[in-house]
Amino acid sequence: MKLISAMALVSVIFLGALFIYVAEDIPDFGDPYSPPNRYVKLDVSMDADELVDDLNQGIVPETLVSELEAIGFRKDELPLKVKKVKEGEWDAIIIPEEKHYYPKEQVYYLIKAEEDKLEVYRYAPVVRYIEEGHHETEVPNMVTYILADYRGYDTLGEVTVIFTAGVGVILLLRRREKRIIEEAREKTGIGNHKITQISTQTFLERKFDQRNCFLIKLFSKKF
Amino acid sequence: MNTENSATGEGKGGDVIVETVSRLMVPFIQLFALYVIIHGASGPGGGFQGGVIFAASFILLVIAFGIVDAGDRFPEAVNTALFSLGVYIFAGVGLLCVILSFGAAQYLNYGFIPLTTHFEENRALGMDLVEIGIGITVMAVITSIFFNLVWKRESEEEVGEKEEQE
Repeated sequence: MKLISAMALVSVIFLGALFIYVAEDIPDFGDPYSPPNRYVKLDVSMDADELVDDLNQGIVPETLVSELEAIGFRKDELPLKVKKVKEGEWDAIIIPEEKHYYPKEQVYYLIKAEEDKLEVYRYAPVVRYIEEGHHETEVPNMVTYILADYRGYDTLGEVTVIFTAGVGVILLLRRREKRIIEEAREKTGIGNHKITQISTQTFLERKFDQRNCFLIKLFSKKF
Repeated sequence: MNTENSATGEGKGGDVIVETVSRLMVPFIQLFALYVIIHGASGPGGGFQGGVIFAASFILLVIAFGIVDAGDRFPEAVNTALFSLGVYIFAGVGLLCVILSFGAAQYLNYGFIPLTTHFEENRALGMDLVEIGIGITVMAVITSIFFNLVWKRESEEEVGEKEEQE
């Protein structure tokens, strides 16, 4: 029994340390460079030379719009504004035609200058989950790969919550009297239904601590 | 009802049809639960759902045979051990990714467990392992909640019957 308790203590400490490490290891919220939030590369590339100046001034180049339209983006998904993030990187912003009370600007594309070419990426983790998930994980079920892989930290937390609920139920409801009756049955060799019938008060009082035993209190009222 | 029988749990239920049918059904329910867990990757299902179906088979056992017989078949000590086993499988798979990649990969980045040669296949297999862990924990917790509630209820009923007799 001592050995089991010691092993349990060690494993609990191990799991606690592991969870602290996990909490430290979680990528920053909204970090575009964390694996699940990386953008999806679009099949658009343009020459950088003339367009960089336009982009720096905040003008959306027409070639970019026409290229995106050619891929098959809807009209309200075409960029309206361009904002500079840092040297050689721009955010393209759209205003989606959804029935919001206030039309919301949405950062939708990332334009990157790479060796005289402009590469266009698309933001939004949801898009990545839907479009790249099957290719990246070889799992056809979208719900499973989002739950178990991209959102693995979340699921680990859920399992821990269920585990905690189970431990709470054990602490509140596990029947102590049953164990005490079984111990008494083992020591005396009488069936437990007979123990409740014969006058057991003296027997139980001698054997067990009265403060902890619900049954003894019950019996001491009656007999 | 006889006091002796109610105390030991014998004679509860006791219907031949109920007992036989549930005895026949239980293995199939458990097989289906394993199918749901294993096929969580390629079809509808997963650890949570499969675990609950597995727990339903034990609940059926309790309903048919009474808590004492069913409790003997699925002892509480084993149940409590399974509780934490599932969480440890999940957390351990996550830690394996860090260990086997010598600290290069993130926690729970299954691709770095060298089960096969393909990064994507590794991710799929890692997900399966994790689903098994989830299933074990959910199964043990649901079963334990039900068993504990039934034990509590039975003990209260015994006390109530005793008071009525006197």
